[in-house]
Amino acid sequence: MTPVRREKAERLADEELMPWIAKKDPEAFEVFYDRHGGAGYSLAYRILGDRSAAEDCIQEAFISIWRSGARFDRTRGSVRSWTLSIVRNRAIDALRSKSGRAPKLTFDDDAILESRPADEQTEKEVLAAETAVEIRGALSQLPSEQSKVIQLAYFGGFSQSEIAGMLNVPLGTVKGRMRLGLEKIRGELAEGMA
Amino acid sequence: MSADQHDRRLEEVAAFALGALDAAQIEDFREHLAGCKRCQDELNWLAPAVRALPEAVEQQSPPPELKVRLMEEVRADVAAAAEQTRAAERRERASSRKGFREWLGGLDIGGLTWKPLAGMAAVILIVAAGVGYLVGNGDGTNVHTTEVPQPNGIVAEVINEDGKGELRLTGVEQLPKGKVLEAWVARGEAVEPVEMLFTPDEEGNATTQIEDLEGVDAVMVTREPTGGTKVPTTEPFVEVPLES
Repeated sequence: MTPVRREKAERLADEELMPWIAKKDPEAFEVFYDRHGGAGYSLAYRILGDRSAAEDCIQEAFISIWRSGARFDRTRGSVRSWTLSIVRNRAIDALRSKSGRAPKLTFDDDAILESRPADEQTEKEVLAAETAVEIRGALSQLPSEQSKVIQLAYFGGFSQSEIAGMLNVPLGTVKGRMRLGLEKIRGELAEGMA
Repeated sequence: MSADQHDRRLEEVAAFALGALDAAQIEDFREHLAGCKRCQDELNWLAPAVRALPEAVEQQSPPPELKVRLMEEVRADVAAAAEQTRAAERRERASSRKGFREWLGGLDIGGLTWKPLAGMAAVILIVAAGVGYLVGNGDGTNVHTTEVPQPNGIVAEVINEDGKGELRLTGVEQLPKGKVLEAWVARGEAVEPVEMLFTPDEEGNATTQIEDLEGVDAVMVTREPTGGTKVPTTEPFVEVPLES
């Protein structure tokens, strides 16, 4: 396969870029990194709190994508959310490994999360909500106890039982806060697209 | 399952979506999810909220060196894969080029035996066939370039411009004192020295001119004493078969 020229790669949508990456095209991969490397690095830094560890995480995550690019399944959601879920899993594993906690995450869970057919995906809803600003706004408007459990779970990689122990609240309370918090964020996203 | 029990399951959907179920509960919940439309709907509703969370993170600029390191690794992968492909092609095609090996193996040049190079040359011929290209020069002349990877990281390129040639080598080791590079052209069984001796520069590039490439089957290079020789005294370390 003739390598894709950079100018052409830049014009391709993410989903069109992935087959080129699966065929080991470095130009396509560079464009892919330029698009999502920043968001991935920001997420890794948010989770790990250390620039050097975030760099290692991104290097590992993106190389794993490069070496297994064919694994992306466009029926399972957007390239961006797939990429960020890989970064998040790597970062949480690194965090757990550092703190001596056993790794818990598996790619299977992401598969279930992303398992709706593409035409049902609400990724566009997220984008329509002006993403970062809207979502930060939605998070900041959550009651702090709801925001805290979501952040401990998503960015800290803690299980609901661990969070209940840390906050010294019943497990049922943690479950309820998670659900209420996510429902509110979801509602904000839906409003943003309305 | 009672409605009450199911409500408790429903409460766990958010934890599952956030990856916060305890390890022991995950498998059990997956089994339930597979057969529960209501929980599936709830998960489908909440999933975009979870996927949106990374977007809420304050954006940081990754250091440029990170991309440099990443792309170095990527390009090293590409180079390794290309080398593997070439090696496989060599193995596959070498056997089918027996005739050429025999031709080279039977070549008698000043009493030297060329057999050790015969296999390599056969392979190289195949590679050369893949990288040779012909271009018009715009002034009516035709330029044919044959580029062939050699052992030890050397790349040899023969440019044939209407019968006159130039041999360009890259990746050549520095020569010991008292040694030069000497090129040879093979026409059938006859091997003749190329007039212009040459040496590699500091970056390992070496170039010589070949007066006449008409009828040449292969260009070779040996390391010879300063001043050159009439017949090769060492085995060639570069071998570029040409399409006649």
